[in-house]
Amino acid sequence: MFFHIVLERNMQLHPRFFGRNLRENLVSKLMKDVEGTCSGRHGFVVAITGIESIGKGLIRDGTGFVTFPVKYQCVVFRPFKGEILEAVVTLVNKMGFFAEAGPVQIFVSKHLIPDDMEFQAGDMPNYTTSDGSVKIQKECEVRLKIIGTRVDATEIFCVGTIKDDFLGVINDPAAA
Amino acid sequence: MSVASDSPVHSSSSSDDLAAFLDAELDSASDASSGPSEEEEEAEDDEESGLKRRKLEHLETVDEEEIEEASSSKGECQHPGSFGNMCFVCGQKLEETGVSFRYIHKEMRLNEDEISRLRDSDSRFLQRQRKLYLVLDLDHTLLNSTVLRDLKPEEEYLKSHTHSLQDVSRGSLFMLEFMQMMTKLRPFVHSFLKEASEMFVMYIYTMGDRAYARQMAKLLDPKGEYFGDRVISRDDGTVRHQKSLDVVLGQESAVLILDDTENAWPNHKDNLIVIERYHFFASSCRQFDHKYKSLSELKSDESEPDGALATVLKVLKQAHALFFENVDEDISNRDVRSMLKQVRKEVLKGCKVVFSRVFPTKAKPEDHPLWKMAEELGATCATEVDASVTHVVAMDVGTEKARWAVREKKYVVHRGWIDAANYLWKKQPEENFSLEQLKKQQTSMALDTYASSNPNEVHEDVLLKARDACYKARDAFYACLEKESGKKPTEIATVGLLYPKECSSSRTQFVNNCRSSWVKHFDREYCRNKRVQRLLDDGDERKGPMSLPQPYTFKPSPST
Repeated sequence: MFFHIVLERNMQLHPRFFGRNLRENLVSKLMKDVEGTCSGRHGFVVAITGIESIGKGLIRDGTGFVTFPVKYQCVVFRPFKGEILEAVVTLVNKMGFFAEAGPVQIFVSKHLIPDDMEFQAGDMPNYTTSDGSVKIQKECEVRLKIIGTRVDATEIFCVGTIKDDFLGVINDPAAA
Repeated sequence: MSVASDSPVHSSSSSDDLAAFLDAELDSASDASSGPSEEEEEAEDDEESGLKRRKLEHLETVDEEEIEEASSSKGECQHPGSFGNMCFVCGQKLEETGVSFRYIHKEMRLNEDEISRLRDSDSRFLQRQRKLYLVLDLDHTLLNSTVLRDLKPEEEYLKSHTHSLQDVSRGSLFMLEFMQMMTKLRPFVHSFLKEASEMFVMYIYTMGDRAYARQMAKLLDPKGEYFGDRVISRDDGTVRHQKSLDVVLGQESAVLILDDTENAWPNHKDNLIVIERYHFFASSCRQFDHKYKSLSELKSDESEPDGALATVLKVLKQAHALFFENVDEDISNRDVRSMLKQVRKEVLKGCKVVFSRVFPTKAKPEDHPLWKMAEELGATCATEVDASVTHVVAMDVGTEKARWAVREKKYVVHRGWIDAANYLWKKQPEENFSLEQLKKQQTSMALDTYASSNPNEVHEDVLLKARDACYKARDAFYACLEKESGKKPTEIATVGLLYPKECSSSRTQFVNNCRSSWVKHFDREYCRNKRVQRLLDDGDERKGPMSLPQPYTFKPSPST
C-alpha cells in the first residue's frame, strides 16, 4: 500500500556546497540519499514530492559540516498482510515461484498455488493447469495476496498465495 | 481535514485505532531501528487526510478476518519451509530451521520432510521424462581458470587469442578482465553439455565463490538452458570444504557426480565419476605440483573426439541406458549407483590379474586400493599364478611372477594400466604399459596424467644419482654466494634470499637439478643459518639501530 507522509531527516552538507545553490544542493542530495531506500518502519521510499521545511543549520565541531533538519513529503510503499498486490514473476522452480512488486520480493510456495496447477520443468519452467489454459512463467503478471511480511533495514520480503478467488495470472506477455 | 472537522468524535477514535494498529503492525514486522523522529511522524500520519484513514481502517478489519480464517480453517501448519524466516504456507514467523537453499534465494530454507517430498515428486516426474541428475564440478573438470598475474611469459601469447565475450557459444578461451582472470573451457564441453542435457537435469557445484560460479555458468551456458538456477557455489554448501548432495533436490539414487577431486565428496563416492584433471594453464599445474609443461606452454590441448569429457559422456550414456532399460517394469527402486558399478565392471571384464611386488608383504592384498580398483573394474584378482591368469602387474621385470608371465606369453604390465583403465573407462592396449615402456616413459609427458594421482610412482629425481647432482649444484651455488659476498645482491631467489648477478649461472644449475620444494628448503636453511650466525656475532654495531618504545602521550582524536 502506498502512503503519502512527511518524514524528517538530518542532512549533513559539506561546506563546499554553501552558496546561492545551497537549497538545491540540499534537495538533490536528499533525493539521492533517500529515494529507493527502505526503512524498516515506513517501507520503501518511492519518491520525494515536496519539501515542507528546512531548519536552521548547525555547524559540527571539528569537521565544518553543517547539519540541516529537513522535513519532506514523500510517497512510501509498504506491503501489509492480507493486501492484494500485482507482481511480476521473476523465477519459477519446483518449490513455487518468486515475484516482484517494485522493490518487494514475494515468494509463493507450491502449497499455495492451486492444486490443479502442476510444475513443468524445462528451459522455461512454469506452472500450468491440466487443460493448459493458465500458465505461470517468468515475466508474467500475477495478482496475489500477502500472507506474511518481513521488513529488513534494506529489503522487504513477503510470502504470498494465489490459492483464492480472483487471484492468479492477470497478464502473460509471453502468450500475447 | 474536512472529515475530521465534520465529525470530531469519530475522527479521534479512529485515529487512536489507527495509531494502535500501526504500532502493532510495525513493531511486529520490523526489528530494524526506526528514525529519530518517530513520534512526530506518527503525528503526521494521524493528521493525514481522512480518506487514507478510511482505507487503513478497512485494511485493518480485513486483516483480522484473514487471521481468524486461517487459524480456524486450516488447523496446524506443518511449516514445510521458510522464506525470510516466515513460513511460506501460513506466514508465521519461524526460527531458523531446516537446510538453507541459498542458491535459489538467500532467504530460502526448507525442512527435511519438504525436501524429501520435493525429491519424491521430482523423481516421478523425471522418470516420465527419462532423465537423471548430474552434478558437475567446474575447475579442472569443465574448464580451467587462472588469475592473470599468474600467467607465465610463455603464456602471454594467449592474450591475443582470446574469444569475444559477446558470443560465448563458439569460443573456448576467455579473458575476464573485470575478474582479473582467464578461463579456458575444456575441449568438447559444448557438445558434452548439449548431449548430457538430454539425459540429465544438470547442476553446477563448485568450490569457487558465487560470483565466479555464476560467471562460469554464463560462459558454459549463455542462454541458461542447461543449468537455470541450479548453480551451487561454496557459499551455498552446508559443510565447509566438502560437497554434499543435501542441497541437491534429487534422490541420491538418481544422481551422478562428475568431479576431479574424490575427497570433495566423502559421503557420495558411489555416485561419483572421477575425471582426469584438466590443466591448461601453467599456474594450475603448479598448484597440483605437476612437473610437466602445461598445455598452454606446449600450445596444444586435449583432443575433442576422445578427450576425457568424451569418454565420460560415453559412460554417462551407458549408465543412463541401463537405468531406463525395460521401462515397463517399476523403476522406482532402481539405483544409478549400481548402474555405474555395472558399467565399471565391464571395463576389465574377463581379465585375471596377479600382482607381483606391488603391495607391501605384510598388508593384506585384498585391502590395497589397487586390488579394489581392479575388482571394481571387473577384473578377477589372484595372489598366485595359474593357467587362467591373463595379466601380471609388476613394477620390476626381475620378479618370479613376471618371468613366469614372459615364459607363458602372458601380459606383463605396470600399475598404470589399471589406473588408465580406471580413468578412461576402457581397457588400454597392454603394449603401452609394458615394463620397458615404464622406464622409457617415466620422464616423458605420457605419464604425467598418473603422477598426480599416484604417489607410489617412482620419482627419478630423488634417486641417488639425481640427488648427488642436486647437492653438487647446491654447494656450488652457495660457495659462489660466499665468494661473491662483496658484490651487490640484485637477484631474488626463493624465500627472500638475494644473490649477486655473478652467481646466476650456478643458480640456474641449482634450480634445474633440484626439485623446487628442495630448492626452497635449502634456501630457507641457508637464510636461517645466516641469521643465527648474525645473532651470535659479537659486534653490536652490526645489529642495526635499536628503537626504544616511546612514552605514551594522550592526544585527542581530531574528529570530535
